[in-house]
Amino acid sequence: MASTTHDHHDDDHRITHTASIKVLLSTGGSLLFLTIVTVLATKVDFGANINLGVAMFIAVVKATLVVLFFMHLRYDKIFHTVVFVSAILAAALFVGFTLMDSNQYQDTNIWNPEHPPAAPYGPRPTAP
Amino acid sequence: MSEQAHAAGDDHDHGHGHGETSPFIQHHYDDAQHQFDSGKFGIWLFLAQEVLFFSALFVAYILYRYHHPEIYSYAHKYLDVKMGAINTAVLIFSSLTAAWAVRCAQLNQKKGLILCIVVTLGCACTFLVVKYFEYTHKVHEHILFGRYFDPCVSSGGNELLTKNNECPGSKSTIEWDYGTAKPVAGCFAAVGIDMDRAEEGIQADCTVFEVTGELARYKVGEDGKQKEGKEWVEKSRKPIAHRCVEEVFGHDNADEAATPHAESGGAAAKKEEFPCWKPAIQPAVCKDGWFFAWSCTGILCTAPSGGEGPFDTLDKCAGGRSAKDGALKAEGTAWISDCAEGRGAGILVEYGDHAERGETTRIKAECKGPTPPPVVADPLAERANPLVLGQKAVRPKHQPTTHELHEREAAGPPPEHTNMFFTIYFAMTGLHGVHVLFGVFVFIWLLIRSIKGHFTPDYFGPVDFAALYWHIVDLIWIFLFPLLYLIH
Repeated sequence: MASTTHDHHDDDHRITHTASIKVLLSTGGSLLFLTIVTVLATKVDFGANINLGVAMFIAVVKATLVVLFFMHLRYDKIFHTVVFVSAILAAALFVGFTLMDSNQYQDTNIWNPEHPPAAPYGPRPTAP
Repeated sequence: MSEQAHAAGDDHDHGHGHGETSPFIQHHYDDAQHQFDSGKFGIWLFLAQEVLFFSALFVAYILYRYHHPEIYSYAHKYLDVKMGAINTAVLIFSSLTAAWAVRCAQLNQKKGLILCIVVTLGCACTFLVVKYFEYTHKVHEHILFGRYFDPCVSSGGNELLTKNNECPGSKSTIEWDYGTAKPVAGCFAAVGIDMDRAEEGIQADCTVFEVTGELARYKVGEDGKQKEGKEWVEKSRKPIAHRCVEEVFGHDNADEAATPHAESGGAAAKKEEFPCWKPAIQPAVCKDGWFFAWSCTGILCTAPSGGEGPFDTLDKCAGGRSAKDGALKAEGTAWISDCAEGRGAGILVEYGDHAERGETTRIKAECKGPTPPPVVADPLAERANPLVLGQKAVRPKHQPTTHELHEREAAGPPPEHTNMFFTIYFAMTGLHGVHVLFGVFVFIWLLIRSIKGHFTPDYFGPVDFAALYWHIVDLIWIFLFPLLYLIH
């Protein structure tokens, strides 16, 4: 069997990639730095949408750092990347399709002359 | 991950000539590499599932935010950014130590491994403790999900009259000093609440409510002084903004108003004579949280002696003023006149800063005689109709900027369906918190095994997989933090 093919105590043939301290510390440091940036960015008024965009951009950068370095995906089998990215794509599909027709269900009133919908403002129509 | 637990403490034959390697390499794998790869593939499938699992909640979040942005821009102010930021930093740091733990295991550094696991564990517990403080604060303030959302304090820091009439700290709510006719403690503090933020020019607010039964009672001790607290006995206190005035004010003339304890006998006769109240329209207003009140059997500006509203300018309001016939009273912040018993009703009128509204502030509290309201065929058209009482409050001197609108909005009561934000908030952070809690157990398990020296360079799968799980938990928080706490 494969008993002779691997010497697991040999650093060059470890089971999987070992992250260097430098990579770990710089990833952690950048994550903390980006956290501060995202908190500070909220305090600046770019307009609601841009603020959201900035926050999400930073979050995506942070998530990418975590996935690539902390989770070793950069050094890992490409197949694991495929699995993970397809999960994210599936989630995006989920969000996208749900958003696509959600407007269809806003303000749906089934008109019933016996019971008209309540007025949003003002008193209820008094009975004659 | 725990599903990667393999036969800890197994003593069986490991076969395949692996006598030298870790005893945890199971015989049905070719070698350590094979076992590790299988486990790693498994954990990645699990993580993919986790992404999909959480995505359902993200869909809920995105949909609701897309359709109701005002709720998000209001409600997030109930959340403490500092707490969220601390938790973010804690999780990131624990992610670092978790990744480092994997490195230590790979390099056979037992002490380092134990240290890293302990730090990770500590961070996880810190996260949960911070979460605990956040949650208990919200429970205390009634900032909860669904119908339990009934905050006492607005996101602007102002105290709100809650629908249950409850305040933090005391269920009986209002400490009312009858001597000075002022609330001592409770939700009735004078604050600037704007009920109709959308409507330009109307800045007064009112909460119309009905109180039946006994309002308040002192507990009096032997010394004749008030004993601790009051009993707040309340049969009902429901907003009646949509209800007709005549349902509330059972009496319609000053004579009856003068006898506050009388039963509301004349109610039926005058039933048609009072127009309905409108929720979006504010009645009489004055500065700084005045309460206008009617004695319990009083009526609203419909007394025979003339119900013309006395409060048409601010200066007239200063110092308090009564309606000509005494049916309407405005005394400081008092709203209860002699309503110790019987039926009472009132309008809570709360107002912003005087200076903010300028010299020309003019408040019109128009009180009409008992004329029946026109029957409006189109309920929407009713909005344009003249108002019974204080229809138009104030026209601001300048157009408010976006920032001012936000400020005002934040100081006001929650927009409709704000509870949905907290439903989503608790669902997301709750599910995430459960994951953190689970991670705590996993790391305790890892700690025990690492102390026993189970992990070696050819068997560190559990550490790696647990770390991967921990990273995905961190990853989700990386998104939750800006989405929930950092809404601009």
